[in-house]
Amino acid sequence: MQTFNFRVSAVAMACAFVSTVTLAQDATLTNPAISGVLDGYYQNTERPMAEREEGFGLGHTELALSANIDDMFYGKLTAVVETHGSDTEVGLEEAFIQTLAMPAGFSIRAGRFLSDVGYLNNQHVHTDAFSDRPAAYRAFLGSHYFDDGVRLDYVAPTDLYWAMGVEAFKGDSMRAEDEHGERDFKDLGVYTAYSKLGGDIGNSSSWMLGLSYLRNENGRLTAHEEHEDEVVAEDGHEHDHSHAAMYTGENTYIADFVYKWAPNGNYKYQHLTLSGEYFMVTDFAPLEEHDHGLDEAHGGEHTPDDQTGWYVSSVYQFTPNWSAGLRYGQVDTQELHDDHFHGQKLKETEVSLAWHHSHFSTVRLQYTNQQGTNFDGIEDDNVITLQYVMTLGAHGAHQF
Amino acid sequence: MRINSKFIKASCAAIALTMASGAQAKLNIFACEPEYAALAKELAPDAKIYSATTAMQDPHQVQARPSLIAKMRQADLAVCAGADLEVGWLPMLQMKSANANVRSTEKGLFFAAEHVQTLDKLDSVDRSMGDVHAQGNPHLHFDPERLLLVAKALSSKLVQLDPDSKAEYDAALADFSTRWQAATTQWLALAAPLNGKKVIAYHTSFRYLFNWLGIEQVGDLEPKPGLPPSTSHLADLQSRAKQGDVMAIIVASYQDERGANWLGERTQLPVQVLPMSVGGNDDSQDLFSLYQSVITLLLNLNK
Repeated sequence: MQTFNFRVSAVAMACAFVSTVTLAQDATLTNPAISGVLDGYYQNTERPMAEREEGFGLGHTELALSANIDDMFYGKLTAVVETHGSDTEVGLEEAFIQTLAMPAGFSIRAGRFLSDVGYLNNQHVHTDAFSDRPAAYRAFLGSHYFDDGVRLDYVAPTDLYWAMGVEAFKGDSMRAEDEHGERDFKDLGVYTAYSKLGGDIGNSSSWMLGLSYLRNENGRLTAHEEHEDEVVAEDGHEHDHSHAAMYTGENTYIADFVYKWAPNGNYKYQHLTLSGEYFMVTDFAPLEEHDHGLDEAHGGEHTPDDQTGWYVSSVYQFTPNWSAGLRYGQVDTQELHDDHFHGQKLKETEVSLAWHHSHFSTVRLQYTNQQGTNFDGIEDDNVITLQYVMTLGAHGAHQF
Repeated sequence: MRINSKFIKASCAAIALTMASGAQAKLNIFACEPEYAALAKELAPDAKIYSATTAMQDPHQVQARPSLIAKMRQADLAVCAGADLEVGWLPMLQMKSANANVRSTEKGLFFAAEHVQTLDKLDSVDRSMGDVHAQGNPHLHFDPERLLLVAKALSSKLVQLDPDSKAEYDAALADFSTRWQAATTQWLALAAPLNGKKVIAYHTSFRYLFNWLGIEQVGDLEPKPGLPPSTSHLADLQSRAKQGDVMAIIVASYQDERGANWLGERTQLPVQVLPMSVGGNDDSQDLFSLYQSVITLLLNLNK
């Protein structure tokens, strides 16, 4: 109830801001930038670990406010409204401050924000060229990982772009599954470190490479206890729409690249984006002192493989009005069944075609072929999504 | 020991020398567009100048790419058109580059549009009007008088950031002003035959140029700012062109020529690409040759 009140007041506050600015009629770079994103869709079936349900639905509907608070601080608030079945949830995806005036290329961000690990994670989902995040993101980061915490970032004074940073988060949404609710989780659950390099090749091409490491103190699974099978069955069936990561582990390593091309560097008429990421999640099995059942029952010969996932995506905007995307991705995870692990695999091949009437409106048709073993019983399925994503209000400056 | 202390003294002296010469005004300037890089070059010839975009790139749609973040990280001064032209990418660069020097116009940030009256300021703005700028048209570098005002303001900014070199900046401004005013008089005389001519153009890129030379833009290839030419809109322009008073179809160096060519073929009107900025064609090497080239190309159409 408390959270509900808070959410309502956040929206009320946002509305108050909107009206002030409408009256002021003087949108400048320094006044609060207000933007809303409307996302609606029809999808013929569901995908494993995805937020979008079957049929008509609303996706990420967001309202964002951002501005320089003063000469030292910048702030941003993003409220997201999501519907799941008959429930409407209002959540805060971003509520952070960032320093603007620290010396020597340092900056600090604090509050709730998107982690800077990987390539896609710090981008808002409405800027994606596909209706859902790649399977690897859905499996390991709960689609997009945002959390309460703090970041220290540094940009080197070099012509080659070189940024590096560390983050510390609460990590609630990255906790390993805890079906009995008895586990003593650490409050400071997630630490990350990342580094990104980037530059141009001539006038037409730009690139960026990133390496990230995510330490999840609560990433190890809890060993199942043999006599509580019924709880397992009940729990496994529940449809989980939280942003929690489905598959966790103590250590996650991410490598990412992006390459963009536009003739003469002019992005207006046509441009191509190639990007890809690789995930490896290790150390997820319950520690030995807890797992009486695990090693002894199987004689200790079975150690599960690391969980991995990757995707490669190519999006070509061939006129100002049309873009097409092709993405292939797969994820290999391990699921604990009583005392042993089952490997699971999901492969997704996706094609999307989008029509952009202007910079601010997109209508997208997407086809996904998913081939899975064990994932929610999926064996072979074709997913068709028809979606619109439209932005109103301030220009959103998007990251590379 | 002796050698050592001598060596230390020598290296201290060398370091002090480099520090001193480094402090002696080698400003690192980040220009959002090539016209402001060229202006900075006139006013601070010794500065290290980097242009974020070229005349072949639409400055509305620039990616806040890693190389730009790296350049802005090192800048003492960022010079941009302003009036929200760079609103889609400059704030992201400022955020990502974590360089407090170029965050506010009180320090090392300079918006040209803040120092002149812009044309076409709007009292109210709605997205249904297209991607319009409430603060007026930002493509103001094609008005020589406004550009001179910008030059004066930019020179003061240079002095503010680097007061030790005031004499050099004042001299460079005086020299530029003299040459620019003389050139402006010549250009006006040269371009006199263009006065009263009518053109169809793409976007309001040359709004200030046309305003200065007395050219009237009677049609825009864009149905609304930011929207690409549509067939139905082009058909409307075709019937407008039938009145027979239009001199040419004008496109900027970063704009797509297809719509213009479609219309040109059907109306028998010449299609002329004009350099949007320095580097937009081979003749445009600096601000002077840019103006000269644009006027020459327009005069050739009138022959």
